[in-house]
Amino acid sequence: MPSNAFQFSPADAAAFSRKVARISGQNIQECYQCRRCTAGCPAVQDEGNFSPDMLIRLVNLGDINAAINNEMVWKCVTCYTCGTRCPNNIHTSRIADTLKKMVKESGVEPLKPNIAYFHSSFLESGVRWGRVNEAEFMGVYEMKNILHLVKQKKFKEIYDEIIQLSKFVWRVLKQGRMHFGFLTSKGHKEIKRLKRQHQTSNKV
Amino acid sequence: MDIAYYPGCSLKQSSALYDLQTKKVFSKLDINLKEIEDWNCCGATSASKIDDFLSIAMPARNIGIAESAGFSEIVIPCSACYAKTLVAKEKLNNDPELKSEINSGFAKKVKGSLKVSTILEVLLAFIESGALSNKLEKKYEGLKPVCYYGCMMTRFAYDVPSPDDVENPQGMEKVLKKIGLHPVDWNFKTVCCGASASINDAGVSFALMAKIMKDAVARGANCFVVTCPMCQMNLDAYQDEFCRQNNITQRLPVFFITELLGLALGMGVKDLQIDRHFVESTSILNLQDKVVKERDTNE
Repeated sequence: MPSNAFQFSPADAAAFSRKVARISGQNIQECYQCRRCTAGCPAVQDEGNFSPDMLIRLVNLGDINAAINNEMVWKCVTCYTCGTRCPNNIHTSRIADTLKKMVKESGVEPLKPNIAYFHSSFLESGVRWGRVNEAEFMGVYEMKNILHLVKQKKFKEIYDEIIQLSKFVWRVLKQGRMHFGFLTSKGHKEIKRLKRQHQTSNKV
Repeated sequence: MDIAYYPGCSLKQSSALYDLQTKKVFSKLDINLKEIEDWNCCGATSASKIDDFLSIAMPARNIGIAESAGFSEIVIPCSACYAKTLVAKEKLNNDPELKSEINSGFAKKVKGSLKVSTILEVLLAFIESGALSNKLEKKYEGLKPVCYYGCMMTRFAYDVPSPDDVENPQGMEKVLKKIGLHPVDWNFKTVCCGASASINDAGVSFALMAKIMKDAVARGANCFVVTCPMCQMNLDAYQDEFCRQNNITQRLPVFFITELLGLALGMGVKDLQIDRHFVESTSILNLQDKVVKERDTNE
């Protein structure tokens, strides 16, 4: 939770806050904590110690650890309600997305690894084939997720996950909503090449 | 009228029925949808969480394909694909440097003049033209829908003009009124269903959907109408589960707008594949032949 007041350094705080502002494109220093974002946030429910305004405050206080380990970063469902209602036009979802990228770059384990696995499996499938293949990306996601749970010896969670998944797959099969063909687009080559080109030009 | 059509991955897989219905309904309305060639995944919300560059570049390639084929408008029924494509177009128009970088990598260049439309925008333009009423063959008895828009049709994480009112959109209501339905007003039109959280954070998503469901039931609605395949899948496939967890006894069908429109245009339940829903959805459909012609003008 927020830093000890005796450890607070305005210079360090400003550096971190400016960095997040630059990457996210949000003027987070303009936040005056009116909490309209939080009032409309669907991810904020009865339990848990997180909210959009709290995330912004942690970033502005320069508390890197508390910010990247705040549940809001992963609980955000990117519904964009916070940003459309903010009187200062601050999209907290983009701050949450920025912090996710910072977690990835720093190599620390995400607070909710399965949510990180979900989105990376989805995007990788889309880039790998040019189109997302639902069964393939879900398979990759569940494998990453279950492997992680095995390492942590969370066997109850593994059991629950498999039950939940089997129920869903069974329903999808029964209603003829499972697709058995494979989708591809030749565009994946162009997209990969462009991405490599972008990475090289940004390194220079 | 020729309009470019981007189905997206979901409409080619778990929501293939929505692809089929969209094509059938539009063909009946004499709007020619031309699926763009070799389109790719838009990246959805996952790309924006991981890679800002790809989240613009992926939908940009589809814009380039549509523009190079000479289209001036593209319709995108899936709300996530629509939002990502619209945002990419606006961002590229405001960032010439990014635009030329992206264009340097793609064979089909983005010009930036393509109109990116929701399915409702195209339907509403058609209704404006006045050509719908003489195509209607059936009318509904006893259907009380709530229109559920979800997030991505009206809200964006960038300053992009919204196609409808952000907090209280009306597009679906306007379409349904034209086919003789009277949608019920309610509070959860644009409240998030949790989207992919139904898979990776089910507690959050199920709690949200239970709130949506409770308000729909309290207002006396007997079905949902949606345009987004993610919303349809979530509210339909998990309904039994989140209702049981939250002591909700009712079950409400979740219709795509193309289903209610298709039926009114005289298509059958099987033609539209409405029998592929998870919640039983056909017994509520009581359709009568539309005989009295004068009623159209009153509505």
